[in-house]
Amino acid sequence: MILDFSSSLHIVWALLPEIVVAVTGLVVLMLDVFQRGSRSAPSAPWVGPLAITGLVGAVLANAWLLTLEVPAQNAQIAVDGFRIAMNFIVLGVAIFGLLYSFDWLNREGQFTGEFIFLVLMAVVGMMLLGGTRDLIVLFVAIELMSISVYVLTGYDRRSRRSAEAALKYFLMGAFASGFLLYGIALIFGSVGSTNLSLVTSEIALGTASNNPMLFAGVALLLVGFAFKVSAVPFHMWTPDAYEGAPTPVTGFMAAGVKAAGFAAIVRFITIELAPAAEFWEGIIWWLAMLTMIVPNLAALAQDDVKRMLAYSSIAHAGYLLVGVAADSPLGRSATLFYLAVYAAMTLGSFAIVYLVAGKGDVRSKLSDFRGLGWRRPLLGAAFVVFLLSLAGFPPTGGFIGKLYLLSAAVESGESVLAITLVLTSLISYYYYLRVIWKMYFEEAPESLPTPERPGLAFGFAASIGALALLVAGLFPGHGLRTASRAGEDLVPRAAVVAPGAAPSARPSGQDPAASRASSNVSEPER
Amino acid sequence: MSFFESHWVLTVLLLLPLAGAVACLFAGKDEAKHVALVTSIAAFLLSLPLFWVFREGTPAIQNYVSIPWIGQWGIAYTVGVDGISLLMVLLTTFIMPMAILGSYSYIKRQEPTYYAMLLLLMTAMIGVFIALDMFLFFLFWELMLIPMYFIIGVWGGERRIYAAIKFFLFTAVGSLLMLVAIVTLVYLYYRQYGVVTFAYNDLVELPVTRSAQFWLFSAFALAFAIKVPLFPVHTWLPDAHVEAPTAGSVILAGVLLKMGTYGFLRFAMPFFAYAATSDVVVYTILTLSLIGIVYGAWVAAVQPDAKKLVAYTSVAHLGFVMLGLFALTSESIQGGILQMVNHGISTGALFLLIGMLYERRHTRLIEDFGGIAKVMPFFAFAFVVVALSSIGLPGTNGFVGEFLILIGTFRTHPVAAVIAATGVVFAAAYMLPMVQRVLYGPVEDEENRELTDIGLRERIVLLPALAMIVLIGVYPGPFLEKTSASVDALLQQIEMRASQAPLEPLGTDVRFDHMPILGVDED
Amino acid sequence: MRQAYIGIAILLVVGLLNAGLFLALSHLASVRRPTKVKASAYESGIDPLGDTRDRFSVKFYMVAILFIVFDIETIFFFPWASIFRELGLPGLIAMSVFVLVLGVGLAYEWKKGALEWE
Repeated sequence: MILDFSSSLHIVWALLPEIVVAVTGLVVLMLDVFQRGSRSAPSAPWVGPLAITGLVGAVLANAWLLTLEVPAQNAQIAVDGFRIAMNFIVLGVAIFGLLYSFDWLNREGQFTGEFIFLVLMAVVGMMLLGGTRDLIVLFVAIELMSISVYVLTGYDRRSRRSAEAALKYFLMGAFASGFLLYGIALIFGSVGSTNLSLVTSEIALGTASNNPMLFAGVALLLVGFAFKVSAVPFHMWTPDAYEGAPTPVTGFMAAGVKAAGFAAIVRFITIELAPAAEFWEGIIWWLAMLTMIVPNLAALAQDDVKRMLAYSSIAHAGYLLVGVAADSPLGRSATLFYLAVYAAMTLGSFAIVYLVAGKGDVRSKLSDFRGLGWRRPLLGAAFVVFLLSLAGFPPTGGFIGKLYLLSAAVESGESVLAITLVLTSLISYYYYLRVIWKMYFEEAPESLPTPERPGLAFGFAASIGALALLVAGLFPGHGLRTASRAGEDLVPRAAVVAPGAAPSARPSGQDPAASRASSNVSEPER
Repeated sequence: MSFFESHWVLTVLLLLPLAGAVACLFAGKDEAKHVALVTSIAAFLLSLPLFWVFREGTPAIQNYVSIPWIGQWGIAYTVGVDGISLLMVLLTTFIMPMAILGSYSYIKRQEPTYYAMLLLLMTAMIGVFIALDMFLFFLFWELMLIPMYFIIGVWGGERRIYAAIKFFLFTAVGSLLMLVAIVTLVYLYYRQYGVVTFAYNDLVELPVTRSAQFWLFSAFALAFAIKVPLFPVHTWLPDAHVEAPTAGSVILAGVLLKMGTYGFLRFAMPFFAYAATSDVVVYTILTLSLIGIVYGAWVAAVQPDAKKLVAYTSVAHLGFVMLGLFALTSESIQGGILQMVNHGISTGALFLLIGMLYERRHTRLIEDFGGIAKVMPFFAFAFVVVALSSIGLPGTNGFVGEFLILIGTFRTHPVAAVIAATGVVFAAAYMLPMVQRVLYGPVEDEENRELTDIGLRERIVLLPALAMIVLIGVYPGPFLEKTSASVDALLQQIEMRASQAPLEPLGTDVRFDHMPILGVDED
Repeated sequence: MRQAYIGIAILLVVGLLNAGLFLALSHLASVRRPTKVKASAYESGIDPLGDTRDRFSVKFYMVAILFIVFDIETIFFFPWASIFRELGLPGLIAMSVFVLVLGVGLAYEWKKGALEWE
């Protein structure tokens, strides 16, 4: 089927996965509320499988998008490999996030349709964020995602920490949205459109360097994104929000919100604003640097595993930014691959933390993990895989992902970033290994209760997650191929740089007109 | 092509311990050790025919295979052995059954996991020695850390956690920088030839500019020097050795340290021949090796703890090996390789012996013993033989190795050889007093009077080591013949590459700026 | 061009005059008997002075949210109505979807009991 946006129905086809998820969300909400009314009893158990079915349907719809032929790309939504790959990642996060969260919701007696509805709405926002090519849709998507996640953060109504985290996250998030909106306004003001294809060509034609309004707009846009992906120095909210939020929500937002934020950065900053590269290159470089160094040092001092993982997730934003800073198709592919791997390991780690923490999420200190490996061998083994993967240790997907990022950095001549990447990973070894040593090297005292046996859904998700990480570490061929295709396939379609071009030429990823115009854009000095 | 001439023997050698590890996890508490022992002996028997099937007199890689693995990154499952790696593989499979049998009564908790970790370690070690793809090599190199971290951390002594994390982080520092160097090397190769490959045989042919060689060599050398360990970065070793359970120390000393020297020989020196043969590098490494020899000996001499003493002798012995390698003569390198094997056998045996004492008395302090020879005669016999081998007495294996190293070194660096020779004297000065204070003299402590001599199992553990000590001591020929062709070829290669190292990047008329990973590949 | 604004200007002037006239009339014609209660400021039944961290019943928020829902609906409906013909059937369908989603929200509030004051 050819998708050329000649009729308005084509927009529906292009948005089919998002629509499936949104409809599932509304159906879940309605069925749940009509069955339960105003009682505060837990929802019927079939709500969970219903949502999972809807998400699987969205996965199928997303796969169907791959079969479409899309000759022209000027709609507000892109139909390209990158968006489809991002959709797969986000949907995977949603499916696994829900599977992991059932045990928590049942344990805390808070299994409700609203939780699932909010997750699904956040997912719609994330998917749109990775696919849109319009600044207004971008804003709507980011708000849809953020507001749902704010509410999810405060979902545990009985917990003060949860409420505090939600309020903090909401205030900082609203602040970031303000930046974003202001950036959008300035870009609109200097270019005259919110449609990115017009924005791109307009910037490429004009002389970008002496347009301070555009510069301010790009910078503010970047600040807004940096808040969302919690890049240093815009990360202050992250440890508190992540620590206070219900743990399955933490995993979901660490994996999903970050993935969506990076999708937006890759598409909006490195692709659509490629002609304005001189504005953002230096900023991204420094963001990557700081985001690798600061949280890794801070994580060393944490004695709460949940908070430690929160810092670790900030650090991973730094690694991902290296892929963005490489600013090449290779870098984008590496970012995509690492996002997928990162999602699997982060979701799994946070899930295990809540299992160990017990009812009310009370035991998440390092010392609460003592002897876990011997008491619950399978759980311990899965956690070891997740932690080693987070540390970037072979033979896990985390290692392949870091190798991918590393080669992207080396290829783009960013050797300082490459070396910082490995040295900060080295620091991170210490705090990941510390969890392992608590789990295996120290005996659990009698007073420490053994964590409950996880349910079927949890066990399924954790084993699939851990196995997937091992497979990604040993046989990454398929994943790499997919990532490299998707990282290259971004509209406007990548133009191949002719061999013989100078090594300093900006990599492909712009349309020919843009790359011609941008050839007078000089490399930033560092 | 028979099984033993094909790659299958190597592949099975990799997979067998892995399968054994899984079996151990499912085996019961008491069966796990038997499963592990049978697996390791099977692996040893499997590897043994290689010694005879191996064709001598050719530097060619044998039992070679290269199976595409991660196509778009040019990564392949490439394995094979030459004379050097052959000896290392055999050393590994030889030591593992000893280490496992030596753990039978020492390990009293979580046995299945323990033996699974040992076997996993075995796979990783064999993998390091046979891998001829940089990715595969790095995979095994890092994989080895995890089981060792667990072995030290779970079954180690008092300060096991400190020792485990120190061991892990020290090794990781080097290996991560090596990873950057590997990726850079791959990228440089791509810039030159337009092909992405991690294959050893390809990368070794890459002419790297002289200035780049020093950077990349440093990254590789740091990783390997930590592992060896060379003088200033050796501090993890005494901790790890002392805290590790007996089998852990045996494997650490016996095999893991050799990965460092092997890495120099296989990767760092041929890849960056110009840097490796330049005066600044050679003199630095020779100096550090000499410091290691003398310092290791002196520090060993004052150790009250027998295990720590042996740990420091490793620093000295590996200093000899490094001296041999960087003296860059055929004799010294051959001596170095032989000394790697010797050290593995004799130090491994020493750790086993000390472990046996520890199991009986729960102390390793030299002053707690005395007159052991009277109550444990067989033990005393074994201890003396192994100690003499460690010193390098003629007739034992240690003599052959050290002698070759000294002869070879004398040809190129006579002063270094003279200083190193004093190390042999120092070796006697720390080892013999220890032997004397532990074995001879009156029995002062009443507890020592009650000790039982080592039993059948422990004798079986020690016998192969004793046999090898004497065998290599009096008849080293077959071992040296295995390596001579490989070493000569290696030296020629290094000389040739050093002289051909370009000042400027070559072939700049065609540039490949972006790796073809990006292109949608055919397969 | 300028003529187009004349009507607005007239409306503005008449409006202002009208408002001023009535204010002036009420000021001149009214009978004033001030008491203490009458003289106090009146803010929707709430004391104008005091701690700002006052508690409100959550019901007020419910009503406010309901108001916003329908407020936004109006804002969306108006431009759509003005180009109803140009948008045609697709516009109608899009708007129906919009109303449907709002309807879901309303139904949710209703079933949750947010519409009952007590």
